[in-house]
Amino acid sequence: MTAIALYLYPRWLRLWHWLSALLFLVLIVSGASMHFAGTPWLLGFKVAVPVHNTAGILLTLGWIGFVVGNLVSDNGRHYRVRLRGLVGRLIAQVRYYGYGIFHGAPHPFAVSDAMKFNVLQQLSYLGAMYLLMPLLILSGWAFLFAAYLPETLFGIGALWIVAMTHLTVAYGLALFVLVHVYVITTGETPLTNPRAMLTGWHRESGTHAP
Amino acid sequence: MNEKPPTPRRGRRLTTAQSSVLAALLVTVGAIDASQPPGVDPPADNRACLRCHAMATLAYRDGTTGGLVELFIDPGRWAGSVHGELACIKCHAPDFRYYPHPQSATSEQLDCVGCHRQDQERTDYPFQTIAEQYAESIHATSEKPRARGFGCHSCHDPHGFRVSKVGRPLAEIVRDDNRVCLSCHAEVRDPLRDLHQWLPNRDAHWAAVRCIECHTPIAGGDEAQRVSHRILPAKESNLTCVNCHSGNQRLLSRLYAYRSKEDLARDGLLAKAVFNEAYVVGMSRSVLIDRLSLILIGLTALGLIAHGFGRYRAYQRSRGN
Repeated sequence: MTAIALYLYPRWLRLWHWLSALLFLVLIVSGASMHFAGTPWLLGFKVAVPVHNTAGILLTLGWIGFVVGNLVSDNGRHYRVRLRGLVGRLIAQVRYYGYGIFHGAPHPFAVSDAMKFNVLQQLSYLGAMYLLMPLLILSGWAFLFAAYLPETLFGIGALWIVAMTHLTVAYGLALFVLVHVYVITTGETPLTNPRAMLTGWHRESGTHAP
Repeated sequence: MNEKPPTPRRGRRLTTAQSSVLAALLVTVGAIDASQPPGVDPPADNRACLRCHAMATLAYRDGTTGGLVELFIDPGRWAGSVHGELACIKCHAPDFRYYPHPQSATSEQLDCVGCHRQDQERTDYPFQTIAEQYAESIHATSEKPRARGFGCHSCHDPHGFRVSKVGRPLAEIVRDDNRVCLSCHAEVRDPLRDLHQWLPNRDAHWAAVRCIECHTPIAGGDEAQRVSHRILPAKESNLTCVNCHSGNQRLLSRLYAYRSKEDLARDGLLAKAVFNEAYVVGMSRSVLIDRLSLILIGLTALGLIAHGFGRYRAYQRSRGN
């Protein structure tokens, strides 16, 4: 393997990423404090509500910035799924994480300027950013402005639908964060990918085993 | 619908017998209600009517039932009501202009739908639907003598009715709304024949919940309307705790919607978005989703720890080699 150094994470993207990471942490803690109000080691309810709402508003602004950034810059190319050979690449990636990684097998995907995500990363980021995040944001705002909602939707209480959507998607994104934090350590070294998101440069020496 | 507690009245129409005793019982000593707010004047056309009807003691005894029928209109309360700007004869027969009122005028029958059937200004109150719901209500179908002559005005005083305004304390709304029911059904709170004895935390319910929340259908009817006018008989009313005390609960949604409107009216959009004082603890509670999600997250965490341990062992092996 040869050493590579690619500038894959522009400043705006890194800023958005770490701001989102911080907001996710704040939202998880404050959201849990509201959801499980009364639990001693969580925030007080009165504190948790404005903290959660403020973080939610900032997350919304950040997400809009992310979408716009992907539209106007070439970072959006990394989110375009290449259908040709998709199943084969998926199988190879799952096989690597489930078996090859324990036996020194080479990574089936090589980071390049054209594509920085392996297929599992790409699909999970797409699902998180373009499916779960809009649902989370919409249900969050619907929660805030429930006065403008109809009382029922499809015969079911509209607010209940909003609440359950927000709760389920929040759990889904908490799961995403958990897996993301771990999987990101599976680069050439555990710190290869986190460092890239700090500096913008993806560097591989080509000398390390997985 | 919430409104200022009306004074329920029945039999506002005068029969021949009633008219005959009216003159005898007409008491003219009452002055205009002292509680009338200063500066609130009824429309000029109504002054003639109010010369008599603003007397607090104007009443007659019903020749059939023997009950006292009030004819007093509180001018101040009326002026503040939704009908306060109307001339009396807009609703009442023009013949009422004459005194003594001719017999023909006293046969009029007034109800809300008569005027509001196609009221374009009040699309949030579907009066036709309300009338249909009321027609199925126990108040309309009961054959008990006490239900005779029951109509819109038995609960909603047309001379005092006000549309509820966001911002009124919830406890006040509950108390005032329940007062309307209790003005006829005082016996339900008689400690000697307590019909609500089965109800856990009965007093808490009475203080926090309107009678109509349980005594109207839980679902069905026109969903766009907040409370059905189909009042149920006692045995058909909601006796099941989980209809309210469950995840998808109508009452909690209604409470949250009301508190949201309060927030918006008081604080505006941005402050509402940040502080959202309407949020009620337990709003998003779902034991099933909580359990499944926490189990999934826990198992995933264990799986990742195991995966990380496996990688570490593989790393050690590779170093050993």
